[in-house]
Amino acid sequence: MTTRVTTREKLVRWPLMLLAVATVLAPLLWQVSTALKSAGESTVGFPGGLLPQHPTSQNFVTAFTEIPLLRYVGNSLAIAAMGMGTNLILATLTGYALARIAFRGRTLYTTILLATAVLPFEVILVSTLLVTRGLQLNDTLIGVVLPQAVSIVAIFVMRQAFLRVPNELAEAADIDGAGPWQVFRHVMLPSVRGSLAVIAVLGFLDSWDHFIWPLVVLSDPSKYPVNVGVQYLSGTFSADQRVISAAAIVVMIPPLLVYLLMQKQVFKGLAEGALKG
Amino acid sequence: MTAVTTESGVRVSARRSSVPVSRRHRWYVPLLFVGPALVVQITFLFVPLANTFVLAFTNASTIGGGRFTGLANFTELWSDSAFRHAVGRTFLYMAVAVPALTIGSTCLAVLVNTRLRGTGLVRPLLFSPMVLPLAVIAVVFQYMLNSDGLVNQVLTGLRVVSEPVPFLNDPDLALLSLTLVTVWKGCALYTLITLAALQNVSPELDEAGQLDGAGWLRRTISVTLPQIRGTTVLIAILAAVATLRVFTEPYVITGGGPGDATRTIVVYLFQKGISPGTDAGYASAISLVLFSFVLVISGVSWFVARRASS
Repeated sequence: MTTRVTTREKLVRWPLMLLAVATVLAPLLWQVSTALKSAGESTVGFPGGLLPQHPTSQNFVTAFTEIPLLRYVGNSLAIAAMGMGTNLILATLTGYALARIAFRGRTLYTTILLATAVLPFEVILVSTLLVTRGLQLNDTLIGVVLPQAVSIVAIFVMRQAFLRVPNELAEAADIDGAGPWQVFRHVMLPSVRGSLAVIAVLGFLDSWDHFIWPLVVLSDPSKYPVNVGVQYLSGTFSADQRVISAAAIVVMIPPLLVYLLMQKQVFKGLAEGALKG
Repeated sequence: MTAVTTESGVRVSARRSSVPVSRRHRWYVPLLFVGPALVVQITFLFVPLANTFVLAFTNASTIGGGRFTGLANFTELWSDSAFRHAVGRTFLYMAVAVPALTIGSTCLAVLVNTRLRGTGLVRPLLFSPMVLPLAVIAVVFQYMLNSDGLVNQVLTGLRVVSEPVPFLNDPDLALLSLTLVTVWKGCALYTLITLAALQNVSPELDEAGQLDGAGWLRRTISVTLPQIRGTTVLIAILAAVATLRVFTEPYVITGGGPGDATRTIVVYLFQKGISPGTDAGYASAISLVLFSFVLVISGVSWFVARRASS
């Protein structure tokens, strides 16, 4: 009885799962195939033209030498590093204060933060551009980073983490005469390392994905991060689909690597981000 | 995956055992902790938000200048047929993408909620689109949906259609084609969330149904899915807010075209206030209308959550 059900289940589930995976992978694998095609080969043709006849890595070389992909990757890495850094520092400090330090207005501040979590960035897009321009930070990488320098989701991830730290730990440190900074630095921070990893991963993926803000605030194409750069190039009339495909693959590799290596943190971060945001 | 579920379990038990103590410190201590983030938030969140409300009642330009014009922007919006069409398109987008995302991710989560061999490999692959940058996905799908893209190659190759389908060039079809991209990318995250909820469902009810002789499909629809109704509603709301904000797909793939067939609210906002337009006042009025739509959806979600908890 049980085995019969399982066999039937296999027969239903496996083909459907295969179909789902194929739907996810088809666009990506087609990109890989296109990127490996040599210049003379057609990008069209089914089923004969699906695979490259003369596989070449030339398109990747072209992507790095003739289009400024390396520059874009550098810009993106700089933006991501800064964004991760500011989020780790600012969200951790704020999250700690919200969880563990009594101060006047804490409840109000928490409520305001929760309320602004529903505010879509597009609503303040124009005004943020005006502020950034007023500070003369437009067309700079700092200007790209600052509006996303402290994510509300990250603050609340850290707040929850600090709320979970047992009181005994902090009390023991208090008795030992540690000041507020020592307690934070040597007692609290080591207990929330898991959540620090979560907001670091989330910060990286977020900044790698940001599109509308860098698009708006940057006017010099040599400062573009990867995703703005790739869509900018794909829009130019001279774009070779094979080279753009190669560039697209290069852009997808860092987040995929982070995903493969830190699956647990990615799941936790993105799920919490979605639920809070 | 399990991290999500166990994490919330841990949180509940931790909260029960000890209430975290907040310490009092000298007056400047909290300021040192909150201050840095607060400066950033005031500059790049609170001031722009307040400024949006002010600008919406002016004829300010992004280049400078402007004076108060009262409700002029809003009366103009009311009679602006381009804006009305943008709103209509965005709602149509929502009407197509939200059910597709909700039903699609629920089906996928049910599909991979099994101990069957191979699932461990299928799941990470299925979730992978959630980490890929949307702008790059959009470039990829532009090639996919072109007249000589992969989709048309397969359709003509298998003789499903004789002529390539003008997915992106037909004004009536372009908007629907863009929803494919949103669904392809969005299903990953929503399936992950739904699967986490499914794994929290206790197997006892399902076993009782099994004893009563109910089949798998019957048990899934009438026993399991009602238990994760809250998550399903939540995903519909998340998807609704996300589609209200849709920008990257139309901007990258069709540029709002052909004609204005895929000009959504945010694309219109962009065109009016950023490029080529410089009308900060009018764009801010559009922003506020967009915000009010988001607030309505958030209000609905708050109402639903309150009803579910009581």
